[in-house]
Amino acid sequence: MAPGKARALASEEVDKVIMADKSVECKGICKSYQRLFGSGTMVLKDISLDIDAAEIFGLLGPNGSGKTTLISIFSTLIYPEQGHLRIMGLDAKRDKDVIRKLINISSAKPNFPWSLTVKENLRHYGMLYGLHGSTLAKTVEDQIDAFELGEYRDMKFEDLSTGLKQRLSLAKAMLNRPRLLFLDEPTTGLDPDMSMKTRLLIQRIHHEQGVSVVLSTHYMPEAEMLCDRIAFLRKGEIVALDTPQNLKNHLGLGERVVVRYVGPMDIAKLEEVPGVLSVTAVSGRAEIVIDRSTENLDRIIKLFSRANILDISIKEPDLEDVFLELAR
Amino acid sequence: MSWQGELNKYLASAYKNWIISKRNVFTLFELFFWPMISLLSIGLLTRFLNVGPGMVSFLLVGAIALTILQVAQIDVAYVLLFDMWSKSIKNTFIAPIKSYHLVFGALLFGIVRGSVVFAILVIVSHYLFGFDFLRGGPLPVLIFLAGVFSVAAVIGITVCISILTFGQKADVAAWSLSGLILLVSGIYYPAEVLPPALQMLARAIPLTYFLEYYRSVFIPGPHNLALGAVLAALYLSVGLILFDRSIERARRTGILLRLSE
Repeated sequence: MAPGKARALASEEVDKVIMADKSVECKGICKSYQRLFGSGTMVLKDISLDIDAAEIFGLLGPNGSGKTTLISIFSTLIYPEQGHLRIMGLDAKRDKDVIRKLINISSAKPNFPWSLTVKENLRHYGMLYGLHGSTLAKTVEDQIDAFELGEYRDMKFEDLSTGLKQRLSLAKAMLNRPRLLFLDEPTTGLDPDMSMKTRLLIQRIHHEQGVSVVLSTHYMPEAEMLCDRIAFLRKGEIVALDTPQNLKNHLGLGERVVVRYVGPMDIAKLEEVPGVLSVTAVSGRAEIVIDRSTENLDRIIKLFSRANILDISIKEPDLEDVFLELAR
Repeated sequence: MSWQGELNKYLASAYKNWIISKRNVFTLFELFFWPMISLLSIGLLTRFLNVGPGMVSFLLVGAIALTILQVAQIDVAYVLLFDMWSKSIKNTFIAPIKSYHLVFGALLFGIVRGSVVFAILVIVSHYLFGFDFLRGGPLPVLIFLAGVFSVAAVIGITVCISILTFGQKADVAAWSLSGLILLVSGIYYPAEVLPPALQMLARAIPLTYFLEYYRSVFIPGPHNLALGAVLAALYLSVGLILFDRSIERARRTGILLRLSE
């Protein structure tokens, strides 16, 4: 191909990416880990979903549910056995070389060459992305600053704490200014302060730089804070896909009324109240899950008339409840 | 992408190998200890056997070739071995790079290290055993080194393919394959003394031809340098294609992810 035509093709592909309103479109993705001899284990079964470029999308699920495998497929690190995948409007199979220039990933358990320092690692990976000269030097310094790695710049990877390794992984993921960022449990191992900073940074990258984000997480507050939509995976299948609010509403999880009391109380009568989904009572503390607290709270409190109520609280269901419900 | 950006994709592997090597005390063993052990043991053997200058040159050319081959091939293999040992292989293969970026970047560093070892061995063999390795002039030396380094690249690529095909346990190939070369490519004896089946194997290995070529500087004899060069170029090309295919296969089987966990 003539150089001029090659440039034109690259330009078309870039245009396609800019115009794409979906960061990920996948249909019927299946994956098993094959062995050299013998059959493999199926880890993803018929995954179909579309992710808008404008949203931060979350993948939730218990350990072994297939989150990391799915993110690895989306990032073209590994290939699915079946199904169709488009990343930013580009065919993941045909256009994988272009896609790899436009994406990056931060792993849940980050690993880098042990004896390279923070700065050397960033420099090495920057070179792999084709950065050079003053651009390379500036990009490395920018990421060191953005992730507050300045005082650790000359520390070897093997000497970094878990949190610092995670920060280095995030810094590496931003080296090539990706259009689509995959974050596999991005705050695992970070202290609360750095976790919050990282979440705010993810929001800032998304809103200010227009970077599409697909992340997996175990932290429900993180998913609730960051994600516009969530897919819940269990045993390699999507069992729920919606906004965090809709997931909570549609699952009918009910509200949690916790009553601390002293004195006699007939727990069996609580279970007979209409709308009560479950009751758990242990040593002066009753936890009652009801579907509409506003209608039924009065009846419940009347049952405590012979006891002395010390404290009463009502908690709406959160993603943690969704997680526990869906992971069953 | 600019040519500087493309060049840096190659240099990335050389940069990583250089940093890791300079911080690893065992690099000194690779650069000085084992090469010296190899040269001294063969050099002293020639004294014990009281062989003539022709045989001394035959054996020392073999010893020097094997040593620089081992140094350069391990550097090419290190491009994946370091990533595999540190479980960072996914970070490399998520980047927009090809097999040739990795191989030629690592080979560049291997050539530098191999050249340092070569210089040391040439000097030591001159002073201790009176052997003038450079007698043929710079061109034969350059041709000989190019041959050895190209074979080193092929062995290094084979190690990388083994890792991506068989997983972590395949790192043993990094140290085993040069042993096979030692046995069959006429390092310490001519290929003609091998059994017929192994002679066929020896004739399929380019190093056999490069050794015969360089030994002809000291002991005039027939050689087929052109065939050696063609075989080396062929194996290097096929090796790169197979390396690319093994990367694609590792993406399909998921071994790239497993090697990172």
